[in-house]
Amino acid sequence: MSAEFELSRNITIGQYLPTGSVIHRLDPRFKLASFAILILAIAICGTYVGNLFALAVCIAMFSVSRIPLHYGLSGIKPAIPFIIILALLQLLFYGEIAEGGTVYFEWGFIKISSESIRLVLVSAMRFVEVIFLSSVLTLSTSTTELTHGMERLLGPLEKIRFPVHAFSLIITIAIRFVPTFAMEMEKMMKAQASRGAEFGTGEWWRIVRRTKDMLPIIIPLFNVALSRAEDLILAMETRCYTPGSARTRYTHYKAKGRDYLALAISIALAAAVLAIPW
Amino acid sequence: MEKGLTVRKIVIAGVLGAIAILLGVTRLGYIPVPTAAGNATIMHIPAVIGGIMEGWGVGMIIGLIFGVSSFLNATVPLFKDPLVAILPRLFIGVTAYFTYVGLKRTNEYLAIGLAGFVGALTNTILVLGMAVIRGYMAFGVALTTAVFNGLPEAIVSVIVTLAVVTAWKKLGSGKQKSKVSGGL
Repeated sequence: MSAEFELSRNITIGQYLPTGSVIHRLDPRFKLASFAILILAIAICGTYVGNLFALAVCIAMFSVSRIPLHYGLSGIKPAIPFIIILALLQLLFYGEIAEGGTVYFEWGFIKISSESIRLVLVSAMRFVEVIFLSSVLTLSTSTTELTHGMERLLGPLEKIRFPVHAFSLIITIAIRFVPTFAMEMEKMMKAQASRGAEFGTGEWWRIVRRTKDMLPIIIPLFNVALSRAEDLILAMETRCYTPGSARTRYTHYKAKGRDYLALAISIALAAAVLAIPW
Repeated sequence: MEKGLTVRKIVIAGVLGAIAILLGVTRLGYIPVPTAAGNATIMHIPAVIGGIMEGWGVGMIIGLIFGVSSFLNATVPLFKDPLVAILPRLFIGVTAYFTYVGLKRTNEYLAIGLAGFVGALTNTILVLGMAVIRGYMAFGVALTTAVFNGLPEAIVSVIVTLAVVTAWKKLGSGKQKSKVSGGL
């Protein structure tokens, strides 16, 4: 029961594991681009061998970045029941839509074919791969590096008048305020509980009751957030922050050989994942 | 966004984005419902509120933050697909904004409530539609999910949006501290 109130302790956003590996030292611009390419390839790839290859690449990535594999596995553990339930549902009901393939089993509307089995296995593998990749990325890059890298990567969009700097500022503000709001929320939950409100004690099937329990937390949370936003707006404007004006930068990135190499490797890997025909 | 991003828009988008992330990582944004998707969500509400308060641009950015965070936190393969997790979420704040603007003249409260409803429906329909297109769900499964997740989501969304936005608008003139980029 008391554990439900410990919000700020359980937040692992921006968790960073400094091992100083090659992947840690990559230029964040190139790192982001490489990971984006790999994730895109995984999202498109629908073949067994392609996905197995991608899985091997992801596991290799952990050893290259010297991050223990259990960090990646811990992201998958809570998901296992969901994966199994979803896989079963897909297996039972997807056969109708999956065109082609050999039908192994048919009974009423339930139809299991080689295509529906492929779908189930591939989407489970895809899930594991994406969890592994995003764990490596966030564990090896600090949030500052991530936002800087993103800002530079989106830089060319300035040409079509996309507000890149403002955009990365929004992301920075969002990440900055998550722990603050977690604290506020904890305070509010304790305040409500000390007045006799009950959280998380309703049985899981009593959906209406559980939803009602949320309202006295969610609504004040928005109000607190908005009044904090007012303070921040005032603070920024008194310091004459002007969106869209030219600014100088504190950090400068310079691409080295290894950054280009990393990008080339990930393009090659992505091409390989997509080119495998089975 | 006729004048581009003001300081107000930037900050509100950031702060509401933070709530979307927070609801996701603490799992408070999920209402457990026994369907294929596993959980109904209230994480689209920041995007709806942002859209109503500061326009479709802000709504879209908050939707993007919500999408990316749900993509990174996902526990089901369905939401580990950026096409399902991120793309549909961009439009939550946009449809909410246009609903609100379209009905504002008729009745302010009706407009806010319906914007909450339409925003939630946008999320449900586009996400499940994408799930069907990408082949994670059969159409029938998606349809039952839409009813059992979508309806509670939409109702909660109406209540919260109405409560937050009306409270904010009534108090607005007094609470809004900055006079430079004001004008709610």
